Amino acid sequence: MPESSKMKKPDVKVVLLGDMNVGKTSLLHRYTEKKFKDTISTVGGAFFLKQWGPYNISIWDTAGREQFHGLGSMYCRGAAAVILTYDVTNWQSLAELEERFLSLTDTANLDCIYAVVGNKADLTDPKAQRPQETDVVSEDRTECEEDQTEPQVTSACPTPPASPASLSGLMLHQQVTHEDAVAFYGRILRYKGLDENNSLPAEKMCFETSAKTGYNVNTLFETLFDLVLPSILRKRNENQESPTVDLEECRGATGKRSRSACC
Amino acid sequence: MVTHRAHHLFGTYSEGRDQPRPPSILIGRLNLSSEIPDVCCGIAPDVSAVHQSDWDGIMERDNHQEGEAQGVKICDPPSESNPLAHTLATSLSLLGNHMFPDQVERNDSGTANKEETVDSFISDITAEEPSLDAESHSNQVTKLDTEETENPECQNIASTQPTDGGTEDAADNDQSDSGEFVVTMLAKAKLEEQGLGVKGRSSPLLEAGTQECPAFITHREEDVTADSWRQHRKHVFVLSEAGKPIYSRYGSEEALSSTMGVMMALVSFVQSGDNIIRSVYSEEHTVVFLQKGPLVLVCVSSSRQSEQQLRGELLYVYYQIISMLTQASISRIFEHKKNYDLRRLLAGSEKILDGLLNLVDSDPSFLLAAVHCLPIASSLRDSLSQILQKAITPNLVFSILIAKNQLLTIVQEKNVIEDSRLEPADVHLLLNLIGASSAFQAGEIWTPICLPLFNPDCYFYAYISYLDPPECTVCLLLLSTDKEAFYAVAECKRKIEEAMVAQNSLSLIAKAHSYSVSQVGVSDLRHFMYKPFDVPDNYRQLTQFTSPEMEAPYSSEEEKMRLLDLYRYMHSRIHSTSRPLKLIYHVAERETLLAWVTSKFELYTCFSPLVTKACAITAITKLLRWIKKEEDRLFIRYPPKYSTTPNPSKSSRSGKSDQQDSTDNGFLSLL
Ligand SMILES: Nc1nc2c(ncn2[C@@H]2O[C@H](COP(=O)(O)OP(=O)(O)O)[C@@H](O)[C@H]2O)c(=O)[nH]1
Ligand SMILES: [Mg+2]
Repeated sequence: MPESSKMKKPDVKVVLLGDMNVGKTSLLHRYTEKKFKDTISTVGGAFFLKQWGPYNISIWDTAGREQFHGLGSMYCRGAAAVILTYDVTNWQSLAELEERFLSLTDTANLDCIYAVVGNKADLTDPKAQRPQETDVVSEDRTECEEDQTEPQVTSACPTPPASPASLSGLMLHQQVTHEDAVAFYGRILRYKGLDENNSLPAEKMCFETSAKTGYNVNTLFETLFDLVLPSILRKRNENQESPTVDLEECRGATGKRSRSACC
Repeated sequence: MVTHRAHHLFGTYSEGRDQPRPPSILIGRLNLSSEIPDVCCGIAPDVSAVHQSDWDGIMERDNHQEGEAQGVKICDPPSESNPLAHTLATSLSLLGNHMFPDQVERNDSGTANKEETVDSFISDITAEEPSLDAESHSNQVTKLDTEETENPECQNIASTQPTDGGTEDAADNDQSDSGEFVVTMLAKAKLEEQGLGVKGRSSPLLEAGTQECPAFITHREEDVTADSWRQHRKHVFVLSEAGKPIYSRYGSEEALSSTMGVMMALVSFVQSGDNIIRSVYSEEHTVVFLQKGPLVLVCVSSSRQSEQQLRGELLYVYYQIISMLTQASISRIFEHKKNYDLRRLLAGSEKILDGLLNLVDSDPSFLLAAVHCLPIASSLRDSLSQILQKAITPNLVFSILIAKNQLLTIVQEKNVIEDSRLEPADVHLLLNLIGASSAFQAGEIWTPICLPLFNPDCYFYAYISYLDPPECTVCLLLLSTDKEAFYAVAECKRKIEEAMVAQNSLSLIAKAHSYSVSQVGVSDLRHFMYKPFDVPDNYRQLTQFTSPEMEAPYSSEEEKMRLLDLYRYMHSRIHSTSRPLKLIYHVAERETLLAWVTSKFELYTCFSPLVTKACAITAITKLLRWIKKEEDRLFIRYPPKYSTTPNPSKSSRSGKSDQQDSTDNGFLSLL
């Protein structure tokens, strides 16, 4: 095969899971494009390659119907990190994670790490309302400033009031608390048969984000990338003689957990 | 045969796919409770008897076909005791469920034994002044008028629908509100029938009727929402049989639930009489119903399109839903739970349906049931096909290259599709899917997709990726039967990308564009659509059409739509079930149109209004010659194939496993 045709082999795989409309695509878009725009609904899974230093990180954005289509295992196979995403204004979206999405992660790497991410924090948390990260481009402001008079809890596109003045009256109640998420994280560990003491702590792995304002988005992805680096390095070492890694093979290859190395 | 083949390779068929209902179904008087006036369905007028002699030698007509159409539309005569019913009578034609897909075929067979040439056409059309609009006149028409001063916009096109010739004389004056009235009446009828506890199966539909109808009826006058809602040209609703809203093109389903309720009442009302409601007409709106399995689709249109066309569009909507969920899953879901809220599975896909409906309105491909390919030198097309042909992996079955939303080439797997072909409707759904997934163009998409005409119960796995980011005009679509094949298929894309770089294909494709009608060299010709029925060499392949860019005076969106509406009108006349025509010369206010269908092609042309008939004929002769000369460039002539499944049983297995799409956790847990 000529050199040029070789696919940049991804070193590590990250999967975004969660119900329709919780904002998975928006999160990824915010992270990769530094923008928030009304995305068109995801069809099936979307595969992205992200350069992270010298590493290629592949990210699967999924549609929310994986279980129905039987594709969840395919998206998750060999994953080093799974981002379980819910909508902080929609309690059901957290319940769905447990009921429908957690079991899809059975094909993930044994040392896969799990992040529980409550998105749309701008709807519930004043501190997530204003762009907080340096890379938030000002053009987005216009997009954020559309006004909406009524709170839409389960709507497809809940757009909160942008001006603090109108906020007071319309502040939505946080329907999913941080404690709910932490408790769910504990149940993930139990589901996976992991010992809480040897695993990444819930404090570190439960995030609240806003794709809309950018709040915590970079932190989320970069924390995860940093955490999966050891797994990349390990894989590189194991595959010294064949530098192109087959994602399909990497799962069974490493059974042993090296989690302690990263935290 | 297509279906058998597909059956073999992709697993089992659910029975009842496209089972045409016997034409003899139908339709007595509706079983309304006694206080309710009888509503009768229209009868196709026997215009053939009236006009037969006039039409001889002017227009070739297909009497056989007409007979068949009439055979289907058997209806009760209206009740004499009920004058009200007379005014409503036009509206309901209650037929079986098979429509659109047969349209072209029937037309085809109707003309198959007739060898037509341009010459005979000329003599036909010059022999007499043709009247092409006899149907729009009442039965009392004694002399034939030409259509030359008529504007189709002004005509009562509804009258070209099967109306009751014998009983309809009084109908016209009072018709303005009849559609609404029918809706209201039937809704009421439903309620009363229920109130009386009338026998019959207890349909879950009844619930919808009780809940929603009173609100609609009492608040309809004041309902601002309903008024603004009406201003849209075409509404589309999808409901479950249990009355649960699934999709509404405009407005939220909740806001429109009262309307949905009325529709369900209508549907359930007629169903309870074992009839299937088909359509309701009023002066301003046509309401068309389509029931497919557990789904009910409704179109409320002021577009003046024919019922068949609207039903065809509803069918596309149905197919698009099937393409996301498969017919088998939908049936299973509703078997388990009649009340299931399908929006749980379709949430987020509304935009795909919205996109489809916008395309249906603006792209004649849907009307013609044919695909449009981008004109390029046949040498370039061949080289692109070869590139696709070489980049294969097991279980890859279709490789499709698209530029500017038009086909460049399709390569298909030999064993799978041996004697079948991709249906245009399936290609339309794929193109719409690509449009809908273009938001995030940097990524590579991997998604299950069912091609409902190929096999409504199984998934393919579609790989979608743009080859020219960031412009994203050239798109590669690879279809596999293996859901795990993403990485292998993505590797095919790298190969294709690399070969295209080597051959500089992208810049050649970038130069390709749709052509101008001026290239034909006929001064009065403004636009045309040409659809050959069988591309040369009897090679069974994708139905295609060719059409130039819409240029001035059809540059604005409004004018484009106006021309498309004229085409739709011509198309409805050509494909009228009661009275199909082969040739229509139609002089409208701002242009003159000529539509012509033969055993070999279907052609729609648009001329400047000053064109003479003789000119138009010469122009068409020239046009046909030009198309002949250019056909290598305009059409995909020889779709190549490859072989990726040396052992067909393998693919059959994978098809089987796709059927059990509950492999992850079982979708039933979703219920
Ligand atoms: N207010 C707010 N809306 C969001 C946020 N993220 C996504 N959305 C909106 O939620 C809807 C669904 O987002 P999308 O990314 O498509 O969700 P996905 O189905 O999980 O990929 C869209 O209308 C977004 O605009 C967020 O952080 N805040
Ligand atoms: Mg998405």
